[in-house]
Amino acid sequence: MAELFAKYFPNVVYQGWNGDGGWLPAIGQTLYMTFWSAIFGGILGLVFGIGLVLTDSDGILPNRGTFSFFDKVVSFFRAIPFIILLAFIAPVTQKIVGTQIGTTAALVPLSLGVFPFYARQVQVALASVDHGIIEAAQSLGATFSDIVFDVYLREARSELIRVTTVTLISLIGLTAMAGAIGAGGLGNMAIAYGYNRFANDTTFVATLLVLIFVLLVQLIGDFLARVLNHKNI
Amino acid sequence: MTEKIIELDNISVTFKQKNQTIEAVKNVSLDINRGDIYGIVGYSGAGKSTLVRVINLLQKPTSGKAKINGDLFYENTDGHEKVIETNKLRKKRRKIGMIFQHFNLLNEQTVVQNVEFALKHSSLKEKEIASKALDLLKLVGLEDRANAYPSQLSGGQQQRVAIARALANDPEILISDEGTSALDPKNTIQILDLLKRLNNELGLTVVLITHEMEAVKRIADRVAVMENGEIIETGNLLDIFTNAKHKLTREFVGTESASSKALATLKAAKLVQLDDDQECIQLTYIGSSVSESLIVKLYKDFDVIANIIYGNIEILQGTPVGALFVIVKGSVENRKKAIKFLKEQDIIVTKVEEGEVFNG
Ligand SMILES: Nc1ncnc2c1ncn2[C@@H]1O[C@H](COP(=O)(O)OP(=O)(O)O)[C@@H](O)[C@H]1O
Ligand SMILES: [Mg+2]
Repeated sequence: MAELFAKYFPNVVYQGWNGDGGWLPAIGQTLYMTFWSAIFGGILGLVFGIGLVLTDSDGILPNRGTFSFFDKVVSFFRAIPFIILLAFIAPVTQKIVGTQIGTTAALVPLSLGVFPFYARQVQVALASVDHGIIEAAQSLGATFSDIVFDVYLREARSELIRVTTVTLISLIGLTAMAGAIGAGGLGNMAIAYGYNRFANDTTFVATLLVLIFVLLVQLIGDFLARVLNHKNI
Repeated sequence: MTEKIIELDNISVTFKQKNQTIEAVKNVSLDINRGDIYGIVGYSGAGKSTLVRVINLLQKPTSGKAKINGDLFYENTDGHEKVIETNKLRKKRRKIGMIFQHFNLLNEQTVVQNVEFALKHSSLKEKEIASKALDLLKLVGLEDRANAYPSQLSGGQQQRVAIARALANDPEILISDEGTSALDPKNTIQILDLLKRLNNELGLTVVLITHEMEAVKRIADRVAVMENGEIIETGNLLDIFTNAKHKLTREFVGTESASSKALATLKAAKLVQLDDDQECIQLTYIGSSVSESLIVKLYKDFDVIANIIYGNIEILQGTPVGALFVIVKGSVENRKKAIKFLKEQDIIVTKVEEGEVFNG
């Protein structure tokens, strides 16, 4: 079995498990980048998404100035192609992380790249909460935080899981590009060690691993979204 | 004895949109007494919801004065706006329950959690909250569905959960904004009777907004009719049903349509062809019935022949209210005298064709 694998996938085996260019570090780097930028970008996206819904003209804290600020920031970052953002944001990365290259450095552009996308998705998810439910909560004397947590976030939770899944999958796509600033990962494996060295088998296996990762995220996301939905059973 | 619990003074609500302003409520004054079931009727778009949302300040008016249960919620009579403080409003709102056409329950929380949500800021301990929530569910007959999600319940059951939730903080006012409009007739009756029971047992003041006269007929004490942002008529239920001044009110109450329908049917069947010496009138009477002797009297004393073509009786606030459609035949002079006589007997006389009430 192992012999057969070594025969058809020589370059995959050549990369080895550990060390520079090994498979385990590549997988680890992809997981690392996805996880931490999901956390940072996710928090940022949630804050902006919630802010957009609350300060919109039909929200519970209508404020044109604040809404417009959130809206402009989100639109601005969404408009920048990620590969350009990598370079554009480099000075900021330098300030925050102390270096412009490497896996940790990639977290800054990844978080900034994914948050506007997530913010818009969160905005749409929260806006799907029936305004009548918010009014009913207000009529019961609900406080601001009751309305944010018990009404908006809880009522939209299934929808939020769904958009989080979509965002995570597109984030995995972004991590593949982070190889451009030396962040490593499976994307880098596929390009630098596979494509550039005419090692098609390496590209193939790297792609396969990314696909499995995406599939897992999708399956878990779909499952949670289903289990947490009691709206229309 | 009667004490005003809701006082709306010259309330106006104007919505400004990009290229138009909508005057949803225009200078409405409305007082509601404690313990009353007050019906507000009118076609869709009349401004009913906008008006009642002023009561708990879900809708801030543009001008006027709103005093609820002794607290000044809003005042703007001279260009200076005074609005109740947010924290205070939040507490006061807990004493004003509200139910909605589409129930508006929290879909991701169980029935009992929905009720507990309303008690989140009460002074009760966690345990007491749980037991109070169960008591409230018992009150509306849903204790066995405490752990179901709203989507697993029928519309009528969902509305009962909404009522339990609205009652959680022992409110003194309950507003129902089309609370029965999405329900089938059987559930509608159950909910209305529940509201009536709460009104009786808890002394709850109920504000009942609806476009269905049947709901008002069943439980209201007093009625206001709204059209184009204005209240065009108010009165107690019997008055509104028997002696409505406004055409729209009669249309709503059904006398307009019932009488014109009756006449149209008869005309179509060629059973009625009104000659010059004939006219069709509607007699509405409260309590007692129009006795046969009255008809005989019309003939004997006034030389007017009265022919009953259609009759109907309803019970309003426990009082029978009858309507008779009669064709009277006789000279103009005699008919006038006969009608005057009928009115002296406390009978309300309406000329059917024109739908006008005789004044006298
Ligand atoms: N938030 C709003 N913005 C703009 N127009 C509104 C708003 N709410 C209600 N209206 C308008 O005010 C009028 C009265 O509406 P509403 O009070 O809902 O009537 P009803 O409850 O009697 O059907 C309608 O013309 C409606 O379109
Ligand atoms: Mg309405």
